[in-house]
Amino acid sequence: MTGKLVTRRQFLKHAGATAALLGLSEAMIPQIARALEAMVQGKPPIIWIQGQSCSGCSVSLLNSNYPMIAEVVLDKLSIRYHPTIMASAGYKAIEAIEDSKKENKGKYVLVVEGPVPKNEGGEYCTFGLGNGKKELMGNTVPDDKPIIEWMHELVPDAAAVMAVGNCASFGGIPAANASVTGATAVKDIVSEIDKKKPVVNVGGCPAHPDWTIGSALEALLAISGQGKLDLDSYNRSRTFFGKLIHENCERRAAFDAGLFLEDWNNQNPDLKLCLFKMGCKGPVTYADCPTRRWNSQVNWCVGANAPCHGCAEPTFYKDLSPLYEPLPNVDIVGISPTTDTLGWIAAGATAVGIGAHYLYKQLGQKTESKEGGE
Amino acid sequence: MVAQIISIDPVTRIEGHLRIDVEIEGGKVKDAWSSGTMFRGFEMLLKGKHPFDAQQVTERICGVCPLSHGTAASYNLDDALGVELPDNARLIRNLCLGANFIQSHVLHFYHLAALDYVDVTAVLKYSGNDPSLLLLKNKISNLADKNDLYPFMPRYDSGDYVSDPELATTLVGHYVQALEMRKKAHEMLSIFYGRAPSFVGTIPGGVTQPPTLSNILAFRSRLSELRRWIDNVYIQDILTVAGVSAYKPFMTAGDSGGNYLAYGVFDEDQKGTKKFIPRGVIFGNDVMNVKPMDETKLTESVAHSWYKDECEGLHPKEGKTEPEVGKKDAYSFLKAPRYEGKPMEVGPLSRMLVKKPDMLVKLATDLGLLSMRPLKFGILPRHAARAIECKIIADEMDKWLDQLKPGEPIWDKKGIPNEAHGRGLVEAPRGALGHWIHIDGKKIANYQCIVPTTWNASPRDKNGQRGPIETALLGIPVTDPDNPINVVRCVRSFDPCLACAIHIIHPEHNGVKAFRVV
Repeated sequence: MTGKLVTRRQFLKHAGATAALLGLSEAMIPQIARALEAMVQGKPPIIWIQGQSCSGCSVSLLNSNYPMIAEVVLDKLSIRYHPTIMASAGYKAIEAIEDSKKENKGKYVLVVEGPVPKNEGGEYCTFGLGNGKKELMGNTVPDDKPIIEWMHELVPDAAAVMAVGNCASFGGIPAANASVTGATAVKDIVSEIDKKKPVVNVGGCPAHPDWTIGSALEALLAISGQGKLDLDSYNRSRTFFGKLIHENCERRAAFDAGLFLEDWNNQNPDLKLCLFKMGCKGPVTYADCPTRRWNSQVNWCVGANAPCHGCAEPTFYKDLSPLYEPLPNVDIVGISPTTDTLGWIAAGATAVGIGAHYLYKQLGQKTESKEGGE
Repeated sequence: MVAQIISIDPVTRIEGHLRIDVEIEGGKVKDAWSSGTMFRGFEMLLKGKHPFDAQQVTERICGVCPLSHGTAASYNLDDALGVELPDNARLIRNLCLGANFIQSHVLHFYHLAALDYVDVTAVLKYSGNDPSLLLLKNKISNLADKNDLYPFMPRYDSGDYVSDPELATTLVGHYVQALEMRKKAHEMLSIFYGRAPSFVGTIPGGVTQPPTLSNILAFRSRLSELRRWIDNVYIQDILTVAGVSAYKPFMTAGDSGGNYLAYGVFDEDQKGTKKFIPRGVIFGNDVMNVKPMDETKLTESVAHSWYKDECEGLHPKEGKTEPEVGKKDAYSFLKAPRYEGKPMEVGPLSRMLVKKPDMLVKLATDLGLLSMRPLKFGILPRHAARAIECKIIADEMDKWLDQLKPGEPIWDKKGIPNEAHGRGLVEAPRGALGHWIHIDGKKIANYQCIVPTTWNASPRDKNGQRGPIETALLGIPVTDPDNPINVVRCVRSFDPCLACAIHIIHPEHNGVKAFRVV
């Protein structure tokens, strides 16, 4: 056993896992290994704070395989603050943030899970003690410190900011209540503080562990000068959010043939039916779920005979409801941004298979909305 | 000695944002206040929506127990729609909910609670020759050399961490193993439910994925491995920690007042009249006298919550939630649910005291807990009840797998009625969970949830009665106010989930207009 933290061989192993995670060719392994080795000279410090979150993205991250979560914590990243896993509590936990900020000026990655509420001075989400006082049933105690104050303290010295999950990236479910709490996407808060600070969004409700770790690796490689961030217009990694679910769905053939599930008791295992009529949002959702799959590749939503709800889309949930009704006005002809003439013909044939009901919708004509579950 | 108030925020290794203030006098907690400090607003989002959406939205209340919310919502909708649930659907719901109990209980003991008891730095003195533990020692010593033991250090100092190198290293090794085990439990439920934590496999009227020989086999192979691990590692580690002499006071310290409530869970027949974990109520630690649960006896107090006084004393079904922050003597976003006007502990300890499985009775007898008067169940019995529950659920799941019938129905298709009421009562890993719906004009008119941590972490009610966590903290020893380790040990034994607890908003007023924080 050498005294070194990670051996060269382990680096190559990690690099192989990383290449697999990012969907890169094996030819990239030596390059990634160099980058990882450079990074791990000091493990990159991470400060992970939670806004109006449900901790679902943290729980999802625990399901990571490439690398496994124990390796992430022990070998890859220095998790300075994460309220769900850290040993310390109270003032000692807060000191961990403050010390890390001082020691790693310009080097740490700030990860935010959940949106940041702005209304009422940010009091809808607080952690740690403020400098003021408040009354607690006749006693005077320190007041609460809003997460918006933490953002102002932590963003300026961060190397980059990562928003993990749909809520942090786009506001998500809490933002449906934004008129009350002022729930705001992390990127919008960061740009008020420092317009130039890089922000990487990781969509998904929850975020897939590969999306979180892969996006972090891409960001860290970019920070260390080993690569360039390739983000889409929503600040998401194209590696994970560049493809339409519908285009890669294992049941696409059923869609093209017009074979739709309309009764969950239809259990012909040889005929996997398309979930479009049950409300599948795959035709409007960009994510690599069909190929990456979930939970150690055991399954994914469509694989469980259930519709995709579009949880990785910036418009989830509000604009994708009702979740179990077919997408209205789906332009089946123009469903793919890369549709070429061949696709046009195929889609035309599909439209015939779908039947008149959907053609009406395509033409923008209203049909009677059907009852749920049909 | 002068009384002193210490404020602990954040309380880490729980779900969500919790602040605890304790008054210390003579080295003990004299008084305690539990405050939830994050607010989103969930039910408002559901108003006017398609009723089928409820399960997908409410499972996102919480990322640790989305299964519980999704399952409660499904039973809630089943009730409103008049569904006759097929046996296959009932069993698959039991199996997937059970899988999440396993992942949640394992996560709680090893990753949320264990660092309160085990000294990770003792690994540096490990002198055994187990290769995987040596690798762990090597990694941790490298981190120590770089002075980077985050997230395991810093921590509260304590004179009584388990620091024997052999034992501590074994427990830290189990911490790492447990990461893989809880992951496996998530894999297991994704076989039927698509993915975890958020999932898609249950719908009003049933489930989406039919049982087949191959997915039953895939489920069983993971379940067998988990059952072995629960028996050989989890249960043994609980017994080990419970046997540490320094922790003996925690057998009774942390008693929440002796009132226990369980809605029951895991239906064994179509109507849910028979449940594997039964429904029941216990008052004043009179554990041999389990009373039937009467849903009409539920009320919510807001005397010390940031809501207007006219919301006082209502049944959750017709509950009002009109916020008024800055209200005198209020200190939490949580309301104070009460049963027959009394604060009730919910969670594994409540369920196991109602069910009384042989293993629990034997352990309590061996530990001398049943010969004490008055009976008291503190921090360690709460952990032990959780572990025993994990084992008996995992064992029972194997039987449910046997009852699945490939080829038979999984769904009872029902339309949405124009007007209907529904309710779904289940158990989350951390306690009793209820969902209520009112459908009007085929849309959601009102949706209410009462969740476990609202019971456990509730503030005082109008009669000044403390919530269960506040009561449990009374008398907890705090020898060093800079290191209130025993306070967080006590709070964590309840496995609090604050995201669940604070989601309330008034559905009629569609907002919290009066809300103001001063």
